[in-house]
Amino acid sequence: MLIERLQTDILILGSGGAGLFAALHAHAVDPALNIILATKGLLGKCGCTRMVQGGYNVALNPGDSIERHFMDTVEGGKWLPNQELAWTLVNKAVERVQELENEIGCFFDRNPDGTLHGKAFAGQTFDRTVHKGDLTGIEIINRLMEQVWARPSIGKLEEHRAVALIKARDGAAIAGVLMLDIRTGMFCFVQAKAVLLATGGGPTMYRYHTPSGDKSMDGLAMALRVGLPLRDMEMVQFHPTGLLAGPDTRMTGTVLEEGLRGAGGHLLNGAMHRFMDKYDPKLERATRDIVSRAIYAEMKAGRTTPNGGVYIQMSHLGPAVVAKKFKGMVDRCRDCGFDLAGGLVEVVPTAHYFMGGIVCASDTATELPGLFVAGEDAGGVHGANRLGGNGVANSTVFGGIAGDVMPGWIAANPGFRTPDEAMLVAETERALLPFRNPQGDINSLREALLDAMWDDVGVVRDAGGLADGLIKIAAIEAELLATGVADTDRTFNLTWQDWLNLRSLCETSRVIALAAMRRKNSRGAHFRTDFPDPGDFLTSRFTVARQVTGQIEVGEAPVRFTHVKPGESLLRADLAAE
Amino acid sequence: MSEAVSTLKVSLWRGGSDGRFKTYTVPLKANQTVLDIVTWVQRHLDPTLSYRFACRVGMCGSCAMTVNGRPRWTCRTHVTKVIQNGMLEVAPLANMPVIKDLAADMRPFFEKWVAAHGTFAASKTRTDAIEPIKPDEPARRAADEAIECINCGACYAACDTVRWNPDYLGPAALNRAWSLVNDVRDSDRTSRLAAISAEGGCHNCHSHQSCQEHCPQSLNPTRSIAGLKRLSMQAFVRGEINA
Repeated sequence: MLIERLQTDILILGSGGAGLFAALHAHAVDPALNIILATKGLLGKCGCTRMVQGGYNVALNPGDSIERHFMDTVEGGKWLPNQELAWTLVNKAVERVQELENEIGCFFDRNPDGTLHGKAFAGQTFDRTVHKGDLTGIEIINRLMEQVWARPSIGKLEEHRAVALIKARDGAAIAGVLMLDIRTGMFCFVQAKAVLLATGGGPTMYRYHTPSGDKSMDGLAMALRVGLPLRDMEMVQFHPTGLLAGPDTRMTGTVLEEGLRGAGGHLLNGAMHRFMDKYDPKLERATRDIVSRAIYAEMKAGRTTPNGGVYIQMSHLGPAVVAKKFKGMVDRCRDCGFDLAGGLVEVVPTAHYFMGGIVCASDTATELPGLFVAGEDAGGVHGANRLGGNGVANSTVFGGIAGDVMPGWIAANPGFRTPDEAMLVAETERALLPFRNPQGDINSLREALLDAMWDDVGVVRDAGGLADGLIKIAAIEAELLATGVADTDRTFNLTWQDWLNLRSLCETSRVIALAAMRRKNSRGAHFRTDFPDPGDFLTSRFTVARQVTGQIEVGEAPVRFTHVKPGESLLRADLAAE
Repeated sequence: MSEAVSTLKVSLWRGGSDGRFKTYTVPLKANQTVLDIVTWVQRHLDPTLSYRFACRVGMCGSCAMTVNGRPRWTCRTHVTKVIQNGMLEVAPLANMPVIKDLAADMRPFFEKWVAAHGTFAASKTRTDAIEPIKPDEPARRAADEAIECINCGACYAACDTVRWNPDYLGPAALNRAWSLVNDVRDSDRTSRLAAISAEGGCHNCHSHQSCQEHCPQSLNPTRSIAGLKRLSMQAFVRGEINA
């Protein structure tokens, strides 16, 4: 099959915080470089950075410190983070926030005296979360996006899906990426000297999930196929309060913010009783993982609302107060037919963020020369749990680093590499497979996967459930591979895209289940009823999965405590006690 | 749980700019947005239906369409709010090229955003401390009033002036320019004022107010544009920009 060919020095996949920052930084290093930024939706409008509500963790206040931010991140991650990555994150966040304000044009909320406001966020020992109301992501992405639009020499491929990472003929480096122009339905091979994978994670394989609808873990699925190691794949963060509006609506699963519980919101089960006292003395203000598990337990016990969740109630705080303080949430619920300020809204735990990802170095390099990774596709920054406010810090810090690093890498490794043509053909055929099969019901397969992952590989896990989950995933994938899409019109064919999305989700779901089976303890987001203890922290190990000759192999590696060991702190004892 | 099955007739635009409406019958449910209706058609009736969405919650502005004649975010529009005589008609956003079916091409919209100098120009660097700015300073309040635009294009699709004059920069781009001329950190004020004063700029606005009527964020681009007209005149009188 003839496919279009393009060449560029740098190809960036994704237009969230990581992709946009990478484009701006690479362009600033050398404006003569050819840069192409490709994104699955519209530039800056798809993906999840834009959906950030909370804010951006940064140690800017004189009373705070880099070390304190670091300790919060590592302890929050239950000692699993790669400490070099976490150290880079907390250090570079300072410069990045100043860059966002001073060069990109973001304006974050101020105190009355004009200084930057830092808000309190769960799991942190200092109020360091810089924000723009509760819509921080919109401000960050809008400002980044307009900077990228204003640089006409940065090539922009909108509504282009990355189909496969293509290695060089000798297999020693990446040669480029096979892309699919969603609008035309045509393939295109973009040959690039360096590629940044910044497609974002997004665990949308669960019945309830928060990420943007375009997300389907394509980045990690592509990485598996070129044999890259993925770490912490069992670590899926659930947010306790996703909107529950029943089946057949895309509203279901979307986040109702953390602050509702923080402000004194109550959770009620289907019998209209508060239940958090059975699970944690902090009640509704307990951490995300604990509240998620408590709601899940109520659901398992059958004490549910009509749609199978629990209620959040805010009205006892005064409907007018709630409507003012949580305007965005109240408006959103009202538009969708629910009264958050005065009534009851059904909620359910919802898959929110993927801590696992590709093993990488602090300079964003991966094991495959020429391929770099940043943002939610990268693993190791957050370990077993991500602090609210560290997600957007992660994508923007490491996206910028990738943009700084790639031009130098290209200078040291000049020239285009000849792609493995057999791989190109095989990957094109792989993406066309649905057109060879009889037409079928892709959405019911998608729903079967979402149910399997929710029931067996979700908030609470055990060996038997994980084994069942793996059997279901295999059956769903087999059925998908025999199910087709009508080949009547490939242009802007969302059903074809749904098929491709579901294949990525099946592949990554299997790895989540296998990694969850491997980890025989409970840390952070990963909880097993058959191994409820966290295990010894000093000998902490992280899981590493990779695909070898078509099979997923999951191993383990010891966490290296390069900055601080469990039981120790970088903070002076007198300050740490505060 | 038993649910009385009732249905809705929905007309969706199919094809390019020379396309036509096609009617489908869709089951009505208790919790259902316009985006859910469109999705139901793609999943159950016609797998080739094209449309665009991303965040599902009114943050990305990817899913705006013309719903019974008005531009709206389809993800945040409950069906019961917009049904007229039991009918729903959905078309791509107006004033933009149609890519296919319900998906419009937003590129001209963003090109005008750039043409209006809707991009912050730095006066400091990443090694400088963040500038203290009191939130109640009048300029900052003016900037903040206009800032919560998510570039969904609803105002641009609703604007009569854009319809008559395809070169008009439109309400969203000018609203952004207004936010920036009030941003004390920005260093591009004079050339931005020249850009928004040129042909296609703020002086084309007839204050029909469609933009503020249709903005899902309740912003008021008409007021922002009025502010720009005032600054533009002052800059012209002072000789800072040419006519």
